[in-house]
Amino acid sequence: MIGAVLIGVVSTAASAYTATLTPTSPLMVYLQVGVGSFTNNYLTGGQPGNNTAINTVSATVASAAVGNGTAQPMTTDSTATQSYWDGYTYCSVPGQLYIGGFYRTTGAATAAAQVTATVPAALTDAAGDTIPFSKIRWTSSGNGDSGAEPFPAGGFVNGGVQNVGSMSSNTWNESCWTFSYLNNSVPPAGTFTGVVRYTLSAP
Amino acid sequence: MIAHRRPALRPAFFLAQAFCIIWASTAQAKTTTIDDSGTQALEPSVSMRWKTAAPSRSGADTLMVGTTTIRVRINVTPWLRRSGRIYLDLPAQQPGPITASWISQGRFLSGQVHSGNRTLVYAGPIASPFMEDILKFQFSVDGTLIRRAFPVTFHFEMDES
Repeated sequence: MIGAVLIGVVSTAASAYTATLTPTSPLMVYLQVGVGSFTNNYLTGGQPGNNTAINTVSATVASAAVGNGTAQPMTTDSTATQSYWDGYTYCSVPGQLYIGGFYRTTGAATAAAQVTATVPAALTDAAGDTIPFSKIRWTSSGNGDSGAEPFPAGGFVNGGVQNVGSMSSNTWNESCWTFSYLNNSVPPAGTFTGVVRYTLSAP
Repeated sequence: MIAHRRPALRPAFFLAQAFCIIWASTAQAKTTTIDDSGTQALEPSVSMRWKTAAPSRSGADTLMVGTTTIRVRINVTPWLRRSGRIYLDLPAQQPGPITASWISQGRFLSGQVHSGNRTLVYAGPIASPFMEDILKFQFSVDGTLIRRAFPVTFHFEMDES
């Protein structure tokens, strides 16, 4: 009888072990416009980092060409040519500006994350003269690329927030932008500047 | 004379084979879930992180992984002084396919199991009432299947020989 009781206790004590799996930091976003920071390429386990550099895109118009309607190519001081995804030389500098990134989220695919540009009304010089930001446009491509660009060609608005691209969840997205100044008006001589801020908004 | 003897042996040979087949089919090992109530996790939960921080271009890289250390203590008293085969069984469960791999400290075998399957962790004589080891687990699950914390259940089971 004692033996039978002991066996009964062992039998009822049989159990299963439960571990709780908790997603930690399931949301991640990365946006790179110009230079960025990664510890290594994605394919070799790279981790994204912060980079506070602000790159410049500029054009110098010869006095004889000012306002002649011939678009002037703009160049950048960005040195970003290689994709941090695989190290492939995707953009060519100084003619192209790299833009790329991703957003990670758990669960089923969500609505795309949006990349917006916050644009001032105009570029200004020290004397207060202005050139509308809409005088700057860009084309979009990438070395060896095909298909639609996640950050397509476009032009700036004259002040406001505009959408410049989108990213599906859990995908790497990148394009190379080639900017140009339309040069179809005659502003006063000077150095005109303005800052555009790019923002990634994930659902 | 010899030519006549050979046919006479054949029925006995086939009969012996038939017996063997019948014996084999009835010798199924009995499987019993082992009491693992003495098992303890060294961390309260398993933090799941993206296996790669950045995604691929195709979006196919959505694996999340997490590690934890579990002190396994199973009660094998019912099989003391017998031989058996112990398996780690990871039943099919929500939220979907899960893979568990582990590295042992030597008492059990290191291994890997996909949900819905089991993997051998020990085979041999049962010489003590309890068997213990510390297993460092890594769990892997598709991040697109999960939104929040979820339980994963596994157990050990004995096949008696």
